[in-house]
Amino acid sequence: MNEIHNAPRDAQAQRRVVEKRVLIDLDRCIECQSCAAACYFSHANMPALSSARSGVALLPVVCRQCKSASCVETCPVEAMVRDENGVVRRRLFRCIGCGSCARACPFGVLPNAPTGVPAGYRSTDRLSGHQIAKCDLCADRDINDGDVPRCVAACPSGALLFADEHEAAKARLTVLGGRTTGEHPYKRR
Amino acid sequence: MIRTEDKQGRSRCTLCPATCEVQVAPKGPDTWRSEYPLENAGGVCPRGSSLAELLSCRSRILEPARRVSGRWVPCDFQSACREVIRSAAGKGVTILLDGNVAVEQLTAAAAWCMAWDAASLCLVGEPSEEQLLLGLEGSGAKYLDNDGLSTCDGFVVVGDAFSANPTCASAVFDRRASEPATPLVAIDPAAGKVSKFATHRIDTLPGMELATLAALIRAAGAEADVPTTAFCRDEISVAPSAKAAGTAIADCSRLGVLIVAEYGRCNAWRQIGFLAGRLAEARGGGTAPQTNGANALAAVRLARKLGGISLASALSADDTVRVAVGCDVLGMLGLQQPVIAAAAAGLSNVTTDSAQVVLPVAMPGEIGGTYLSAGARTLNVEPALSAPAGVCGPAQVVAELARAAGVAAPVGVAEELAGDPLGQAEPGPAPAWSDPAPLVLLLGRQAIHAGCGELTSHGSWQRALQPEAELRMSPRDADAAGIGNLAFVTVRVGDAAVRARVRFAPELAPGVMVLPEGISVARRLIPSTIDSDNDTLTATPVAAEVIVGE
Repeated sequence: MNEIHNAPRDAQAQRRVVEKRVLIDLDRCIECQSCAAACYFSHANMPALSSARSGVALLPVVCRQCKSASCVETCPVEAMVRDENGVVRRRLFRCIGCGSCARACPFGVLPNAPTGVPAGYRSTDRLSGHQIAKCDLCADRDINDGDVPRCVAACPSGALLFADEHEAAKARLTVLGGRTTGEHPYKRR
Repeated sequence: MIRTEDKQGRSRCTLCPATCEVQVAPKGPDTWRSEYPLENAGGVCPRGSSLAELLSCRSRILEPARRVSGRWVPCDFQSACREVIRSAAGKGVTILLDGNVAVEQLTAAAAWCMAWDAASLCLVGEPSEEQLLLGLEGSGAKYLDNDGLSTCDGFVVVGDAFSANPTCASAVFDRRASEPATPLVAIDPAAGKVSKFATHRIDTLPGMELATLAALIRAAGAEADVPTTAFCRDEISVAPSAKAAGTAIADCSRLGVLIVAEYGRCNAWRQIGFLAGRLAEARGGGTAPQTNGANALAAVRLARKLGGISLASALSADDTVRVAVGCDVLGMLGLQQPVIAAAAAGLSNVTTDSAQVVLPVAMPGEIGGTYLSAGARTLNVEPALSAPAGVCGPAQVVAELARAAGVAAPVGVAEELAGDPLGQAEPGPAPAWSDPAPLVLLLGRQAIHAGCGELTSHGSWQRALQPEAELRMSPRDADAAGIGNLAFVTVRVGDAAVRARVRFAPELAPGVMVLPEGISVARRLIPSTIDSDNDTLTATPVAAEVIVGE
């Protein structure tokens, strides 16, 4: 594998590994899609965050940053890599848009339209129109120093959290299935 | 050379009462994006995200033009103004000014209109919101911001407040996180987002919001403080769902009432506002009207205190030339008439498309040193970006028109006018409501629409997410009509039609379907009508036909 994948060797690098994940609180998401709008405007109109129907709810679908990431393993051109912060990224100019990562993702997070990007989210950029959009936890933000990804910053109802399991537990939230917390979309409490 | 960081600007989004702080950052040589300052407590919803895109839109109106034989011919600002004044020879001039621009702009424009004998000023806002705010002002209730809402021990929500202002959802959820038993009562025939989270959802039909609110007040045992029968001509029957909701809020000591006056819903917003305000007062709380823009309340107060004419009068007057400044008045009301002689706007819209003269104007995010009177608060608004060269603010447009008519510079009007509540009298009884048709069309607010939809702009985000209008429909109605989920249909009312994609909504009552409020083609299905007796404009639900596949 490449040098980026094997990068976090020393203690300093180990401390910078991002343990936090984007969690969604089902009891708070009001489907305003502010998260997707924020991702759209900050990722060259090619958002890595999309929305999916779950019964009557329309919920944001966010990459889980798996510890053992199938997308990294299957990418034939090493475009999908785990960087020094432990974040799985897509390297823009290596991606050939083959869709292997999309098919390998067990959670259906990566776009899987024939062209690599769902029709609604296809980039109009000629250089990136064929490529797979991938959440990089907003690489241009310093998430190790307390910053949060844009989708979390933009969430007006507090449904998206950027936290690890311990922080979620402190907020009396149970993390379910690695990404969600709360009881049920629209369950009346 | 200008450094990149010099170009960044901080401002406040003025597209809803949340007034979130936004930061505009360069994205390319000539495009911008809205960013999210860390101290922003509320976040920025899709409309705020689109704000910078609106300001740097490529279809921006940058120079005046007049229509000659059906074609637009560019001209200079002064000659465009002279053309408008020439067309008004012997007639009055009615200035239809966007009520949601900053107070400084409103008062400056009002001063020019006072000095101009032939001119009348109308501050334009959503008619339903204006009526609601007049009712609330008459009730004497306090206004609550999001901090105030988070201390309430119960909520009543009329309409889909979470879509109208997504940040108010955070205050409600925070309260419910600390006190899970906090009741949340929803009155919404369109079953919007609030209904999905409500502890108590009251069964109601389109147009019956007032009777339902009255039933809730009765069930909560608050009728001694809030007499309902004087305002409601419809029969007030306390349904089991209203009884349960009333019991839940009966013991609240600080009740928060959130209201959204959505377009085309009912004809009793003033009475609803009055009763809702009195209910909140009786239960020690306050109200939180969620308007389309942040400055709606200031505009209503200013319009009454400055003696401006009503929108109904402005549109029905015969012997006048109408000039729309900063507002898409025809799109907002779903109308194609009356004739608008001149329209000043940032971006093209339904009104500019029909006008004879088009003028460029700065948008609220570009006007510096201004303030908004958002509910009980006054907020300073810095410009996010400077206006394009040669483009002035709405007050300056009115001033140029007045100068072209030979008016001398006026003395200013006190800006403090906007801050005082109006002493409004109790409203009279609302008109009775007829039984709804078998399939009734409502318009509902969507967070992704207002501010970045067709009515106010051309947000690329909206087009990417929802390329076509979404028609929410009960699965039972859809089955009966042979319509599948996600099918393309045409919704027709009379001669007007909208193509839309069906989305099954099991939470909707059968017989009700909902289109987004923020697109002008949908509003054309439910055009506003002028009520001469009450000098108001109303838009109420209509029977609609759904045709598959057209």
